Amino acid sequence: MKLASSTTQSTWLALADPTRRSILERLSHGEARVTELARPFCMSLNAVSKHIRVLERARLIRRRRAGREHFLSFNPDPLAGAAAWIEVQRSLWMSRLDALDALLQAQDAAAARTPRRKDKFR
Amino acid sequence: MNPQPQKAIVQVTRKFSASAERVFDAWLDPNTAGKWLFATPTGKMVKVKIDARVGGSYLIVESRDGIDVDHTGEYLEIDRPRRLVFTLKVPKYSQESTRLTIEIRALESGCELTLTHEGVLPDYIARTTSGWNMILDHLAATLQSQAAPPFLTK
Repeated sequence: MKLASSTTQSTWLALADPTRRSILERLSHGEARVTELARPFCMSLNAVSKHIRVLERARLIRRRRAGREHFLSFNPDPLAGAAAWIEVQRSLWMSRLDALDALLQAQDAAAARTPRRKDKFR
Repeated sequence: MNPQPQKAIVQVTRKFSASAERVFDAWLDPNTAGKWLFATPTGKMVKVKIDARVGGSYLIVESRDGIDVDHTGEYLEIDRPRRLVFTLKVPKYSQESTRLTIEIRALESGCELTLTHEGVLPDYIARTTSGWNMILDHLAATLQSQAAPPFLTK
């Protein structure tokens, strides 16, 4: 499946917000009503609806109407290619930062015998 | 030509027991950076040149399976020990330049680093169709790693 540029842009924009990521996380377990989604977020229905609209524009969620009820579900299609890339990049950076932490801790261990503090900052 | 590149953002947050200053300096001190930044377990660091000033550039070369892989870029912002912004290009893999923002927040003990890597989605990735469920693992991991999600702290 080939993704249009604008689609991918809106996908990343939609994913940039932690509340929207949480909404997707919830919907990945199954469809839900808007009111059900709002509950765990300590947010007004209105605020949650705004997040939902951003996700709908990015085609990351679908809306199904049954009478007066609206059910939302997760649509993973726009994430197809991007997911693998982000996962690779993320794990690369995680392992680099792990290496940095290990290096600094090794320096600490080596310097433990000759403690010399240089706290210039308040 | 790619008039409208496909943007992607990767964000990683990690705590360190070392001070913000030490973690910050580890990115710019050639002796330290060469030991971890762009170093791989089986690679051999060949060259680390860092001109640590705004507008200055760096070149970090690691030999992987006998092939030199260059990592190069330019420093855009240097605000010790809080913020570091630089570009990154790995010509062997892509001609596109990506952008890294390192933000370091001092904690009572140690510090917390947030890394944001913004770049373009490589063409070959846009064609990949597998692995959407990986993002859910990623989401779960992200959520679990946040002690107090922003929407719960008001």
